[in-house]
Amino acid sequence: MSAHLSIRGLEKSFGAVKATNNANLELAAGELHAIIGPNGAGKSTLIAQIAGEIRPDKGQILLGGRDITAVPAHERPRLGLARSFQVSQLYPEFSLLENLAVAIAAREGRSFGFWKPLSRDRSLLDPAFAYLQQVGLAPRAEDRVSELSHGERRQLELALALAQEASVLLLDEPMAGLGAEESARMTEQLMALKGRYAILLVEHDMDAVFALADRITVLVYGETILSGSVEEIRGSQLVRAAYLGEEHA
Amino acid sequence: MSRRIIIDLACLATFALLPLLAALLDEPFLVSLFTRLAIYGMAAASLDLLIGYGALVSFGHAAFFGLGGYVVGIVAFHTAQLMPLWGWEGSNSALIVWPLALLCCALLGLVMGYLSLRTSGVQFIMITLAFSQMLYFILGSLSFYGGDDGILLNERNSLPGLDLNDANQFYYLCVALLVGWLLFCRRLVGSRFGFVLRGLKQSERRTVSLGLQPVRYRLTAFVIAGLGAGLAGILWANYALFVSPDMAAWQKSGELMAMVILGGVGTLLGPVLGAAAYLGLEQLLSLWTEHWLLAFGPLLLLVVLFGRQGIYGLLMKGADKPRRARARSALPPLAAQEVRP
Amino acid sequence: MLLLEQLLNGLQYSALLFLLASGLTLIFGIMGVINLAHGAFYMVGAFCAAYTAMASGSFWLGGLAALAGSALYGLVIETAIIRRLYNRDHLDQVLATLAVVFFTNELITLLFGRSPPAMPTPEWYGAFVEVLPGLMYPVSRLLFIGAGLLVAVGMWLLINHTRLGMLIRAGADDHEMVGALGVNIGRLYTLVFVFGCALCGLAGFMAAPLLSVEIGMGEKVLITTFVVIVVGGVGSVRGALVGALLIGMVDSLGRAYVPPLLDQLLPAETSGALSAGLLSASAYIVMALVLLVRPRGLLPARA
Repeated sequence: MSAHLSIRGLEKSFGAVKATNNANLELAAGELHAIIGPNGAGKSTLIAQIAGEIRPDKGQILLGGRDITAVPAHERPRLGLARSFQVSQLYPEFSLLENLAVAIAAREGRSFGFWKPLSRDRSLLDPAFAYLQQVGLAPRAEDRVSELSHGERRQLELALALAQEASVLLLDEPMAGLGAEESARMTEQLMALKGRYAILLVEHDMDAVFALADRITVLVYGETILSGSVEEIRGSQLVRAAYLGEEHA
Repeated sequence: MSRRIIIDLACLATFALLPLLAALLDEPFLVSLFTRLAIYGMAAASLDLLIGYGALVSFGHAAFFGLGGYVVGIVAFHTAQLMPLWGWEGSNSALIVWPLALLCCALLGLVMGYLSLRTSGVQFIMITLAFSQMLYFILGSLSFYGGDDGILLNERNSLPGLDLNDANQFYYLCVALLVGWLLFCRRLVGSRFGFVLRGLKQSERRTVSLGLQPVRYRLTAFVIAGLGAGLAGILWANYALFVSPDMAAWQKSGELMAMVILGGVGTLLGPVLGAAAYLGLEQLLSLWTEHWLLAFGPLLLLVVLFGRQGIYGLLMKGADKPRRARARSALPPLAAQEVRP
Repeated sequence: MLLLEQLLNGLQYSALLFLLASGLTLIFGIMGVINLAHGAFYMVGAFCAAYTAMASGSFWLGGLAALAGSALYGLVIETAIIRRLYNRDHLDQVLATLAVVFFTNELITLLFGRSPPAMPTPEWYGAFVEVLPGLMYPVSRLLFIGAGLLVAVGMWLLINHTRLGMLIRAGADDHEMVGALGVNIGRLYTLVFVFGCALCGLAGFMAAPLLSVEIGMGEKVLITTFVVIVVGGVGSVRGALVGALLIGMVDSLGRAYVPPLLDQLLPAETSGALSAGLLSASAYIVMALVLLVRPRGLLPARA
């Protein structure tokens, strides 16, 4: 398989702290690639660089063979990158449908509409509803996001990423703060997405990672120290020492 | 009928019937007061577009009010003096002068907005203030056009089919433009563009991650709001037959902000009510004492500190679940800054 | 010689701006409050100084009254109003402090009347000294420059070498940490605010004999003060110093050199109007330019 997204020698420092230090990664089309690592390993910083929110000091990000290192964040979705956030970034004052409608209008390049009410635009609301169905939020479509539970917000994060119809999904801890039951449901939903997208998954929930991932990369102190299949990572002494020891001892 | 529609209709009826009432009471000054109110209401509602929906606290909105007025004033000056302006003999037709003034306001909005939007938070407040002060001083230095004393106009602009020098006709024109502006703004905030603008206020990161560039939307809103205030300035020049740099002074920007907050941030109609309250209080309190600000200051303070939803919020209180966003709470929290000597 | 004199004039204006800006930037940096009423305390100081000096005949007593009056009024306003604004958004702060400006202006008008008082000064105050061979300069302005210098040094010592300074630095970094240190953060805020107001009083005292004491004098200089702290970097005292020097110098040198320059370039009538406009807008032009290059100011508090 050819790499759809590749990260080469990425480096980023904040003052004296090296948040990313020689990070390398290959993500093939249709592959679900998990990034694991202890707290503070720089996982979110890495995602932010791929999404374009943070400009790396050094290194390259290639998408479909094209160097996108210098492409601004707001242009990357058009190239096929969509992301979700570790801390939900939603529009709390809007309804779920409206949240998705904004995303769909943006994807279709129709955000500069000044007259037609978004909340009555069937060409946006119908597909919006379909995404909500996909993540099981259809019953709450008309509610305001501020009324949602934490678990429901995580689902909506996923729906927004899906609505961008990107080829690569960057999912930053989709299970953050979820209970066992909610995590299981999210795992199931991600399982259903496997193969249709190239997914880069940052996650702490090891059961989910081992169930979902095709490949796993371990990030420690901003450095990608190891990449391999689930079995290889499970068996690695290095990983046990560096990371799993802490949580799976 | 929802509470919101009742309020809309009550306001509309008041504006529509006012000249009749003024005639009945034999108080023609009421028409004049309400003309001022409609003009300021339009400027305040346009500022609300920025503050309430875009979380862009502009402290320089009076710049547009002043520029709109000055373009009318300067053209009138040249036309009356039979003194060509760059080869153009001038015109008194509203259909020519007003679009010209709006064009100038749009250009000002583009430049001022583009530069100001490079900053955010307190710096944004200050740089918008700086731009309007710049304009204020530039207008004041135009000694050819009266300097600080401004320009007196001989007559109002002409519109086919209307006699704007007639107080009632001019009043109804102002009201019609106000109503049109409010309807346009309501439509705007509910449109796809409006949702992006309001979305930026709630989560800029999300909006960028959806593939939208914030500045484009904010700048567009800045220009549109500037056009609203510019139109108000145009009307003011015609109403008062006088323009001066004070129209662009920072006190005027402060007044507009006070109107927005008195009426209710993020409600559009609220700021019109806020303008009514402000001008009404000015009228009443100054009958009572020339030191009317002595009473108005504490009153404004009370509203800011305790009446967070403004007049519109008060009227809507208890109405079934307001759909309109409570804009204030979503303004970005203070980022206290580090001190390093 | 002209250049030197203009530099001294610029320094004097810078001193005024720094006295006001250092307090204002601390109040913003530490409490996050945009205080439009800051100029009002300067006006209160000037009025207190002028009237006390007139009544008592003592110049220095006027100074004392200015400091005390501004500080006291600051204490009242902080207790009654400002402390309710710490957790509010900027819009609320702008309007609430604007209300204080309205109120204070009218209060002063009621108390002292509209006619501007003239502050009596001792003889030495009006004298000139020879600062350099051939350059006579008024004592009054030197005194002003000296006061600015003294405050700048004092602030530096205060912030870097005292416990209060440490708290001020810490308070701006992390409110909760200061709370955790067992310091009453509310009292710290009050102290900083009143201190800022006392500096306004000092500025008012210094300015009273030189500039006209009048209603609205606060707002005039306040907006320029805002420009100073934004240019310097909001929250940074060092930035306030740099900003004050920059704006002060640009103003005074501009006054000396821009009109003759424009006169050479343009016909007389246009150049006169243009230079007047440019000069009065100079501070704002500097600010716009600085923010274009460095949106957070020259020496932002947070690196």
